[in-house]
Parts: sequence; structure tokens; C-alpha cells
Amino acid sequence: MKIALAGNPNSGKTTLFNAITGKTEYVGNWPGVTVEKKEANLRSKYNKMIKNGRVIDLPGAYSIAPYTNEEAITRDFVLGESPDVLINIIDASSLERSLYFTTQLLELGIPVVIALNKQDIVKRRGNTINIELLKSKLKCPVVETVASEAEGLKELIEAVNITAEKNTQIAPDFEGKGLEEENKARQKYIKTIINDVLVKKRASNEVTLSDKIDRVVANPLLGLPIFGLIMWAVYSFSINGLGGYLSEWFNETVFGEILPNNLNGFFESLGVNPLLQALIVDGAIGGVGAVIGFLPLIMILFFCLALLEDSGYMARVAVVMDRYFKKIGLSGKSIIPMIVGSGCAIPGVMATRTIEDENERRMTTILTPFVPCGAKLPIIALFSVVFFPGAAWVLPVIYLLAGLMIIIGGLLLQRIFKWENTSSFIIELPEYKLPSLKHAFRQMFKQAKAFIIKASTIILVMNTLVWFMQTYGWRLQVVENQSDSMLASVGGVIAPLLIPLGFFGWQMAAATLTGFIAKENVVATFAIILAVASEDALHVAGGPLSEFFTPVTGFAFLAFNLFTPPCFAAIGAMNAEFKDKRWLAKAILFQLSVGYMVAMMITQIGTIIVYGELAAGFVPAVFITVIVIGITRYLIKRTKQSVKEGKPLTE
Amino acid sequence: MPLSKARVGHTGLIGTISGNDKIRQFLFSLGCSEGEEITLISVLAGNYIINVKDSRYAIDKKMAKAIQLI
Repeated sequence: MKIALAGNPNSGKTTLFNAITGKTEYVGNWPGVTVEKKEANLRSKYNKMIKNGRVIDLPGAYSIAPYTNEEAITRDFVLGESPDVLINIIDASSLERSLYFTTQLLELGIPVVIALNKQDIVKRRGNTINIELLKSKLKCPVVETVASEAEGLKELIEAVNITAEKNTQIAPDFEGKGLEEENKARQKYIKTIINDVLVKKRASNEVTLSDKIDRVVANPLLGLPIFGLIMWAVYSFSINGLGGYLSEWFNETVFGEILPNNLNGFFESLGVNPLLQALIVDGAIGGVGAVIGFLPLIMILFFCLALLEDSGYMARVAVVMDRYFKKIGLSGKSIIPMIVGSGCAIPGVMATRTIEDENERRMTTILTPFVPCGAKLPIIALFSVVFFPGAAWVLPVIYLLAGLMIIIGGLLLQRIFKWENTSSFIIELPEYKLPSLKHAFRQMFKQAKAFIIKASTIILVMNTLVWFMQTYGWRLQVVENQSDSMLASVGGVIAPLLIPLGFFGWQMAAATLTGFIAKENVVATFAIILAVASEDALHVAGGPLSEFFTPVTGFAFLAFNLFTPPCFAAIGAMNAEFKDKRWLAKAILFQLSVGYMVAMMITQIGTIIVYGELAAGFVPAVFITVIVIGITRYLIKRTKQSVKEGKPLTE
Repeated sequence: MPLSKARVGHTGLIGTISGNDKIRQFLFSLGCSEGEEITLISVLAGNYIINVKDSRYAIDKKMAKAIQLI
């Protein structure tokens, strides 16, 4: 039996979906968290009632006529795939608005069961809903649920089972159907129902606690500093605070000493081939360990983000940011993909779908990967430990740099791809709620699991490959000198391009290349390459990395890896959002140029300021800068020209 | 009078809404349409926080100008 969940955004569909299927899909307290349909089997404990239940979670929609892309997914599914039963989840605290979509669903002829959710908010307001009356008016079962506490689920499934047998649905009956005035008649019809079933003790337009909090957090003066402070707290707690502390211990003690020492002793006592031993200890443990050590950091970051997303604050940040983001061609809603993207760029890029305006959506998709994601944190952590031990400024500077690049990137893109700004901003503000710790822990362990799987599959495979390529030459002989290895010759092809950035040697090129597979690989690759070259642990101040970089070029390398295109998986997500290879190509080219230019500026200007001398590759760097500025100016001029001539604006 | 000129706390009825069809249709599905009650809760960071049918929305100034109150 196909059971589809449909309802307004943020009514609790995914929470209900998770509760009846046992999944841990992404939830949050803002409209538009779910942007894709998700499917899973009904929990086995409901088997007695419904055999082979298949549940489909759909993105939220206010109406069957879509406004944004994710709403279209919902319409296409309910109209095209004819589920056996629709569970319509209604946020009881917005009953009147919800019924608009409900009456449309009731007209499809598919049996509907209503799950009346969030009754706690209704009761807190002192209002009551007459459920029996609502049932008889709508001619479909209505079941009270508290999805977040898993209450009312058994009754709901029971109702689904009984309703499914009817195989039809009586449509609501009101005058004026099929006319142009139909929707007005619909609103009127809903109003008569509301007058009968909803008893209000308190008017909804009174100023509530939520409103008072809003007046502080979205204050014109304080809004931005408060946002900055909250994000700073989240990142510094995850990266420098508890998360950083645990990661340091993992990296230095567990993966730096205990594991390799014991394993080496163990293999030596067994008399294992030294090459095999090196593969396991240096390749697998060294590389994967260099990444797995960051597990606590990632876990704590996702824990904090889950709390933040659950609170209701995200929608407010969109309100605060709207007037700033409009100036750079984005929407206030663009901040949500960016915050989500600070955990992982893939859901971040997908979250752009809730932005109605196509241009704003595209720009957000291009700029979201600039936010340092969880996978880039190991690179940041490694470089700050080695080159700037104990410096508290590295982290804030990185995030500020990301913010600055988003602003500059937005301004440039707006001028290169000129368009008429006709977008309007509207977002629903959900009531604040106390974030659920249970939910945050679940999200944390889900992410931890995903991270371990990633480390033990794609990263492990890449590491083995890197180890293999740096141990062997092209004739499959073990090389005496690393620079004769396969890896060195592959890296050597790209290495000259990196000279203007101040990065010398095939090692830098190799690490950057593996970073495109997964950003954690940058750290893992260094761990493998340098394990041969040096006895010192990777994660210590002045470690083996300092032979390759000055602090200035180290910082440039960090920036280079932050702003160049994200990992393949995130590029795949970008491709899915653009639905157009030309835009993907433009986006990647833009990200590459930005990453390259930022790193070059840091190296060239930084070296002059800090060391009072010209960095190597100064002449080609000047040359490249002139060319890039020339091309950018040409593109902007061309766009201006076409605007003047009244040609269609967007390509 | 457009909503953008209303003072905070003002409750009124919606008159006409200008703008393109898509956005008007969207507002309609939220219950933001002619004859409905609307309250301006606050003006924050250049956005207008409104209450329509038990729900809160933030809209930008452009949209607030497009909504005429009776």
C-alpha cells in the first residue's frame, strides 16, 4: 500500500514520517526543510494492520498549484503516482490556512486521513478544535497526533487501514466549483467550517513571546551581531572547544601513537612483509586515521547545528539577512542553504530549492560551497595547528573570509549575469520551540555513521591508491625516491600552475586533486606522503608540513582548498539543482577562478607585507591578475551592452 | 493605504493586492487575499511581520507596498 504524506510546510510531515518508518530523515523548524520526496517501509510493528506499507514523504506545499520547485514535486506525485491513501498533516495552530490545501486534496478522489498535529500549541493558546465536527464536515477521518512524541500513531495507521478500503473520497461540496471564482468560494467554505469547529479564546494577532524574541533577534541594529555571535559560538565550540579538544586527543594519541606503535609491533612479531605493513599502517591507518580523528569535531558541529535548526531561528536569520543579501543579488532565504552548508554542502545546495527566484537560486547554488563545510574542517584544523599554534584568530578569519568572498562573488555574478530583480521575499515564521536534545543526538549519530562509512570506503580507497602511487613507479617497481613515483609525475603535471600561488612540489597538486573526491582527502594525502618523508606527527606545531609552506603560503593553501570547487558529490548536487550543464560549467569555472585568485592574492600580497620580499612567481601572478581582470571587465561590459540594447537579460 | 504605511499593531482588512499572478496566487493560498484580516505585528530589519489567519509571515517592503488596506 502506498501512503503519501502531504501538508503545509513545517507541519511535521518528516517528523511523522520518521516516527512511522523508523528513519532519521532531516527535520528542522523552518518551512522548506524537505525538498525531495523520501520513501521508506512502514515499521514492522504496524504489519498487523497494514501489510507492505510504503510511506512517501513529500515536500510541504500551501496549495496544489506550486509556487516553488519543491512544491511542484508534491503536486506531480499526488496527481501522477496515485497513492492509495493520503495522510494530510495539518498544523492545528494554522487550521484555517491548512484547510485550503486539504480541500484541494479531498477533491482528488484518493482516500484522505487527516493527522491533526501540533495541538499542543493550540491548547497553549487556550483554543479548542471540535474534532468530531471537523470529521463530519470534511467527511474523512481526523486523528490527533503529536508526531514529535510519537503519540496517536497507532490510531492514525488504523484509520489509514480502514479508509484505504473505501478506495474513494467524497469531495467537499461548496457552491461555485469550476468557476473563476472557485478559490474564493473555497475560502468562504473553509471559513464556515472554521466558525463551527474552532473556538478561540485568544486572538492570534496578539503579540506573543515569539514576537518579542523576534524584536530582539531581528532588530535592525542587533540582528546581524546576534547572528554572528551565535554562529561564532557554534563553530568555536565545535572546532576549538570540546570538538577540537577531543579531536586533538584522537589525532595525537590514538592515531598518532597508540595504534601505529602497537600495530607495527604486532606485524613485526608476525613477520609480515614490510611493504604490506607499510600499506596498512602508513596507508590505511595513517590516511584514514588522519581523517577519522576529526570525528568528534564533526559530531559536535552537527549536534549544535541540529539544535539551531530545531529552534526556529533559521527563518529569522533569513529575515535579518534579506536586506543585505538583496544588495548582492541573493535572497534572505539564501542564508539557510549556507548555514546548512556549513555542515555539508550537499544538503546545503539542495536547500536552495526553496528560493522562488531562479537567478537568486542559481547564485546561491554557486556561492553556498564557499562556506567551509564539515569536510573542510580537518584541513583548517591541521593548518592552524601546524602554522598558527594557539592562535585564536584563524577560525573567525576563515569564516569572515568566506563571508567576504560570498559578498564579492555575489557582486561579480550580479554584474556578469545581469538580470532584473523582480523577486519578492516572503517566509513563514514558525513559533520558537525548545530544541529537542533527543533529536540533536540522533542527528549527531546519523552524521557520525555517515562520516565513518565515508572514511572507510571512499577515503580508504583513495588513500590506498595514493599510497600505491607514491610507493611505485610507472613500471610497478618500488621507488627509492618518492619523486620518481607515479603520484609525483601526475602531480607534477599540475604543479607548475600552482607556482604563482606559492605552492611548490607535486605533493601540493596531489593533495588538491584528491580533495575533489572528498575534501578530507587533502589531510589524508598529506599524512601518507609525509609519513615517508618524516618521522614527526602531522598534527603538531611546525610539523613536516612546514617544510613546504611558510605560514603565509600555508594560509593561502587553506583558502585555495576552501574556495575551489567542492567535492564531486557536492558538484553532483549542484548539477541536479541547475538542471543545465552550461550553468554547472560556469559555476565550476567561477569557483576555480575565485579559489585561485584568493590564494594567489594571499601569497603574493601576504609575502610582501609579512616578509618584506617578493614571493616566487610574482611576475606570472601579475600577468594572471591582469588577464583575469581584463576578462571580468569584458564580461561585465558585454552584459551592460546587451542590457542597453534591450536584449533578453538572462542567458 | 498600503500596508507599508500602517503603524505597528494595526489590524485591517485587505483590499487589493498588486503584483504578478504567481505571487498573488501564492498569497491567496496563504489566505492573504481581499477581505481578509491582516495585522502588522512588527517592522524588523526592513521586513514587515504580519499575521494572517493564525500564522506569522515576514514580507519585504516591496510586498508590503503591494498590499492595500481598506
